[in-house]
Amino acid sequence: MTSEAEILFALIRSRYGSRLDAAQLEELRTVVDGLVRDVAVLRAAVIPDDAEPAQGFTPYRSDS
Amino acid sequence: MSPTFRTIRELGTDIRAGRLSPVALAEACMTGLDTLGRKLNAVVTITRERALEQARRAERELAAGRDRGPLHGIPYGAKDLLATSGGIPTSWGAAPFHDRCFDYDATVIRRLEEAGAVLVAKLAMVEFAGGMGYRQPNASFTGPGISPWAGDAWSGGSSSGSGSAVGAGLVPFAIGSETWGSILGPATYCSVTGLRPTYGRVSRHGAMALCWTLDKLGPLALTADDCGLVLDAIAGPDREDPTAATRAYRYHASPPADRPFRFAVVRGTVDTAEPAVRDGVRRALDDLRALGTVEEIALPDRPYESMARIILWTEAAAAAEQIVERGLIGELTAPEDRVTPYARDAILAKDYLRALRLRGVVAREIDGVLRHFDAIVGPARGTVGPRLGKEFRSALRGGAPDVLGAIGNAAGLPAVGVPCGFTDEGLPIGLQFMGRAWEENSVLAAARAWQARTDWHRRRP
Repeated sequence: MTSEAEILFALIRSRYGSRLDAAQLEELRTVVDGLVRDVAVLRAAVIPDDAEPAQGFTPYRSDS
Repeated sequence: MSPTFRTIRELGTDIRAGRLSPVALAEACMTGLDTLGRKLNAVVTITRERALEQARRAERELAAGRDRGPLHGIPYGAKDLLATSGGIPTSWGAAPFHDRCFDYDATVIRRLEEAGAVLVAKLAMVEFAGGMGYRQPNASFTGPGISPWAGDAWSGGSSSGSGSAVGAGLVPFAIGSETWGSILGPATYCSVTGLRPTYGRVSRHGAMALCWTLDKLGPLALTADDCGLVLDAIAGPDREDPTAATRAYRYHASPPADRPFRFAVVRGTVDTAEPAVRDGVRRALDDLRALGTVEEIALPDRPYESMARIILWTEAAAAAEQIVERGLIGELTAPEDRVTPYARDAILAKDYLRALRLRGVVAREIDGVLRHFDAIVGPARGTVGPRLGKEFRSALRGGAPDVLGAIGNAAGLPAVGVPCGFTDEGLPIGLQFMGRAWEENSVLAAARAWQARTDWHRRRP
């Protein structure tokens, strides 16, 4: 587990740890580790500087 | 006359000829759902009162010469994440919401009513449409969905009941939803045809939100032609859903252009499937050459699956925030669903935005590829239906490759999954045709041509 994953796991444990037993915490650690690995892969991808997020937003007017 | 395993067009012909009553048809479907459907864990609620009211209305209207179109008098089931009024519960497959009711109908439910279709059941699904991270079939308060093809095999998820009810001949069509794999997966494991429309083609109003920018609603049916008929009824703009596209849709069942199809296979997408799937899809690709060209292509080396997972899990964390914070996940069926959602706090906003930025790049790249082809073809699912009680490998958890699913869902592209064979153990295998955005008619034309040439979709469990 990377240090980033350890830190994020600690954050989540501080928020929700009281709801979880030891086995669940271990499972949580595994899932966090997987997410951090996904993020690492994503961060390594080359994206053009002008690439904007592909997420729609339309200004709202009730009469249009 | 048995109504089972008959297409929408066949049933419609018999209804209009007076050989089949919509009321009798609805009754037959509900009897089957209440018996075999329950054994398959496919049913949440049989909507008897509403069904009979709609069926009687259809009978009256057709007798009076008012014809609402091909779905008039045709029964269907809806995945239990679509809001229904009239005291019919909408559970989202989750125990904490097993008796929760809405006071309105989802747009899809309303449009199907306007088309004269008859809602006979709310169908079972994986709790929260799989958004809590399940990794084995027993992840719904109605029990694990069972494939009509093997009593010990999963029906797939998260549209479990939609797949098995159609696959068992209990309804001619059903509505499912796909965020990543939830239509094509059950369609494959239940050996039916499933259509994932372009993102925005069908209004999501009244549907449970798992991931706002990935969720799509679409039909599962016996044939590609039937999927087109259903899409025609449910597609179109909706003021209630700002992400519903303004462009209109009409299904055209006319023959494809008078030229061979042009298909592409993405390098690696067949070879990385489970051996039985790989072999079955290779045979299907050989057969497909009778319909046109099949060209192997390579895509840029990008983290497609990581990108799709980060988008999915970030939005799912936000969509389910109150459910998680209130501790309701502690009441879920799958043990892992009581834990996994907490992990998503680990995703940082900048990384989510990076995934969205990459999505735009990928959407343009894949469109540039698809403009030269009618469809990309490949496995509809890289795995065969897992056995009940066993953990399965899933792309959503990073345990199985699914490049086509990641690209298709992240870029919002339409795909139709069709039966293309069986393993030696008798479990179904599926082939998908994925097309450019808004090209449902192109992928449906290819799928129809496939089904005109093969009989896999006519095999019965």
